[in-house]
Amino acid sequence: MDQEFMAQVETKVATPSETLERGAAAMQLKNVAVSFHGRTAVRDCTFDVTKNRVTSLIGPSGSGKTTLLRALNRLHDLTPGAKVSGQILLEGTDIYRGDITVTELRTRVGMVFQRPNPFPTMSIYENAVSGLRFNGVKKKSILDEAAETSLKSAALWDSVQGRLKVAASNLSGGEQQRLCIARALAMDPEVLLMDEPTSALDPIATLKIEDLMTELKKRVTVVIVTHNMQQAARISDDCAFLLMGEDRAGELIEFDTTEKIFNNPIDPRTLDYTLGRFG
Amino acid sequence: MSIVIPPPPDFSSHEEEVPEFNPGASSRTWYQYLLILAALVFAAVSVGFVGTIIWNSAPEWAHHTGTLLGGNGWQSPAGPFGGLAMIVGTLETSVIALVIAVVIGLGASISIVFLIPRRFRNIVATFVELLAAVPSVVYGLWGFLVLAPWMLKTVIPWLDSWPFAKELFGSVGQQDGQSLLLASVVLGVMILPTFVAISREVIAVVPNDLIEASLSLGATRWQVIREVVLPTAKIGLFGATFLALARATGETVAVALIAGGVANVQFHLLYPGTSIAAWIATEFGEAQGNEVAALMALGVLLMLVNFGLSLISRWLVSRQRKVLAVV
Amino acid sequence: MSDMIDLVESPEPDTNLRDEIRQISDRVRRRRQLRSKFMITLCALALSVTAVPLFLLLYQLFDRGLPVILHTGFFTQLPQTPNLITPNATGGVSNAIIGTLVLSLYASIMAIPIGVLVGVYLAESVSKLAASLRVISQTMAGAPSILMGLFAFSFVVRDLNIGFSALAGSFALAVLMLPVIVISTEIAVRGVPHTLREAGLALGAKPHKVSMKIVLPAALTGIVTGIILAISRAIGETAPVLLVIGGGYINSWKPLDPVSALPLSIYENAKSEWPSLRTEVWGIALVLVVFVFVLSLSARIWASRKQQAR
Ligand SMILES: Nc1ncnc2c1ncn2[C@@H]1O[C@H](COP(=O)(O)OP(=O)(O)OP(=O)(O)O)[C@@H](O)[C@H]1O
Ligand SMILES: [Mg+2]
Repeated sequence: MDQEFMAQVETKVATPSETLERGAAAMQLKNVAVSFHGRTAVRDCTFDVTKNRVTSLIGPSGSGKTTLLRALNRLHDLTPGAKVSGQILLEGTDIYRGDITVTELRTRVGMVFQRPNPFPTMSIYENAVSGLRFNGVKKKSILDEAAETSLKSAALWDSVQGRLKVAASNLSGGEQQRLCIARALAMDPEVLLMDEPTSALDPIATLKIEDLMTELKKRVTVVIVTHNMQQAARISDDCAFLLMGEDRAGELIEFDTTEKIFNNPIDPRTLDYTLGRFG
Repeated sequence: MSIVIPPPPDFSSHEEEVPEFNPGASSRTWYQYLLILAALVFAAVSVGFVGTIIWNSAPEWAHHTGTLLGGNGWQSPAGPFGGLAMIVGTLETSVIALVIAVVIGLGASISIVFLIPRRFRNIVATFVELLAAVPSVVYGLWGFLVLAPWMLKTVIPWLDSWPFAKELFGSVGQQDGQSLLLASVVLGVMILPTFVAISREVIAVVPNDLIEASLSLGATRWQVIREVVLPTAKIGLFGATFLALARATGETVAVALIAGGVANVQFHLLYPGTSIAAWIATEFGEAQGNEVAALMALGVLLMLVNFGLSLISRWLVSRQRKVLAVV
Repeated sequence: MSDMIDLVESPEPDTNLRDEIRQISDRVRRRRQLRSKFMITLCALALSVTAVPLFLLLYQLFDRGLPVILHTGFFTQLPQTPNLITPNATGGVSNAIIGTLVLSLYASIMAIPIGVLVGVYLAESVSKLAASLRVISQTMAGAPSILMGLFAFSFVVRDLNIGFSALAGSFALAVLMLPVIVISTEIAVRGVPHTLREAGLALGAKPHKVSMKIVLPAALTGIVTGIILAISRAIGETAPVLLVIGGGYINSWKPLDPVSALPLSIYENAKSEWPSLRTEVWGIALVLVVFVFVLSLSARIWASRKQQAR
């Protein structure tokens, strides 16, 4: 029974190339599935998010990329009817275990959203340190230092240094998105989840954020959802390809290094997709 | 890297343009004239409404503005007619009522939006609507025949037993338990649904984006509400507050029945008092000549305050929409 | 590529800073959690507090009012004034029930046609008049009802010399209902999809035909709901009728006769010296509340049904 099941999985999901030397896993997904009100949105996701690498999730619209990503910091907790099954390990610990504090988990696994969403009632500075404040840090010296560090990491410091007290809504879209990245970085997360972080931005702003990511992976593990094949190819090291099955539920088709996925994937559907033959 | 870079697939959808429908653009028919006629009638009624009351109060404004705004004591039938007691009473009752309504209403709105499962939300909304649908005279009746005797029998003796009760509240216990405080509490219950109706709407439209962003930074549920939702909804919540205040100032029969109907500037809240609207209701029946004009003048005052508050509220709520549109 | 970005070398994360932050947040985590639970509980409590007055009130109404309305003649007899010889005489409230019906009937006749037309006008016109009428209707909708009484008194009772009458009362209530109907009609008409109108126009129908034959029927649910809510609000109003209907002690449908109304008899009986009247008042209040609740609940249920059917 178990073997039969494993055989099925084997044929369905192509396993990553054995030859590759992989570093330690920051997060491990084991048979992760998410359903809403009993309807499965995504399932059969088993792969490792390796430390200090950028992992991209690609796949057509509705294949469950966002849904999967949001399972990684338990954002589904407050969605009525949402259910996550399987195992998601952060540094070896199941993040859905009963004694895990969600608020702490979310400081370790940060998130950047599709649309830049700085808090409109806060200044640039307040946005940058909002995570620290939520977590009880009040000391000005710490806040100042963290604000500077995170804004520098997000390559925003030079342009906003003189106007930290200005409302965040005055920034351009690209700057706002970098502020959101800075905001997430201020807590020094181990993993940074990004859901199509550049889809609302113009090409130049997009390039800036892409460059930023290459820089960021030195200190944080990145998981990014993207619709843009060039982007996935340019910035990610590993790549997971999701596709809807017959019942419209997304499933993992293939996971491997980005190079393999784009150059010689095992599954023909992966090639079709990366070449833009369907979507 | 020797990666073949494919062109990005095109997922953008083509939004359809919806042309504006504008009947005024085509030639006018009898139907459009009918609509315009109705609009003019409505305009005339509104102007007549405001104009008639102002016109009828004119004699009093012309001669006794000072007494109306600053005089204490109402001498029927000849005057002078001092309006200070009613003005102060209106302020006291509506501000206390507002505090009650805002504190409870804010909590209730937050619960409705964030705590109640979606399928029960309708039921709760219906409850709040029923609360609003109860005629104010019934609230008045309840306050007058149930709460006031209860105050007299239970609450006031209990308050009297406190140390320093005399210094704090004065010697209490006249009338039938009617007081400004009791009127304010009942008024608070009455304007609660007004506040909740708007505030829950304003809270509900705070973008989910912001809520998720703050959750992702490790905020607790209360922090999300306190640091993100409420500040973002602030302007609209002020709008709701002003509208509730407008309602409170205009509430008539409940205050007439519960406040005690005494035209005397009163700062002891356990003493009877009155409000502008309540005073008009209780005195108008017996009023003659100048007193009618004086009551009309109070009506003008009430109208100004009410319209002012309504307009401010409207402006605030529309500004909130703009704020959210930027987000 | 990297010249496009003002990137200084990304600073090395300062481990001291990180540790300090972690320490602080670990220390306060429990407190934050408790605080959150506490405040959320307070909010839930506030919601339950909201329900308390409604239940208390309904309990009192049924407890004290039910025996009264079961009393024979409550609905059919005219009121009797108690005196020293018959201190318990109360009679019934037929005059107030008829009065309330009469008032809302005449008020509806005055307010509904104009209100609906104005609402349609506001929804379909972009003129300056429309813009200002919109502000006026929203302001009037919140105006204190006692002012409608003052208006009706000055204009109908005195200037037109009609006297205290059902007509004056229904005029006051009509002024009260008008803005409510205007607003709800505008919302309902605006809610009709553009495509529906365009389909009509594309078939070559005249704009007014489209408006009457397509848009109004489609918006009917919303319009009727608004009308019912306006009536249910008007029925319960005391202040405006208090000043102008004269409190007649007869059953009359004539517009020029003085009439009574349910809220008015509640107001007057409550203040009465006679215990028998103060007992009877609960029955009247029960009738009024049931009246109003049935109206507003049916409006709500009807509206949501229609919505689901779509
Ligand atoms: N809160 C929810 N309730 C019910 N169904 C949901 C919910 N969120 C997502 N879904 C469903 O899950 C499926 C996957 O959605 P998801 O947003 O994850 O796709 P995606 O791959 O991110 O698509 P896109 O590329 O368009 O962003 C969809 O069929 C969607 O309808
Ligand atoms: Mg998505």
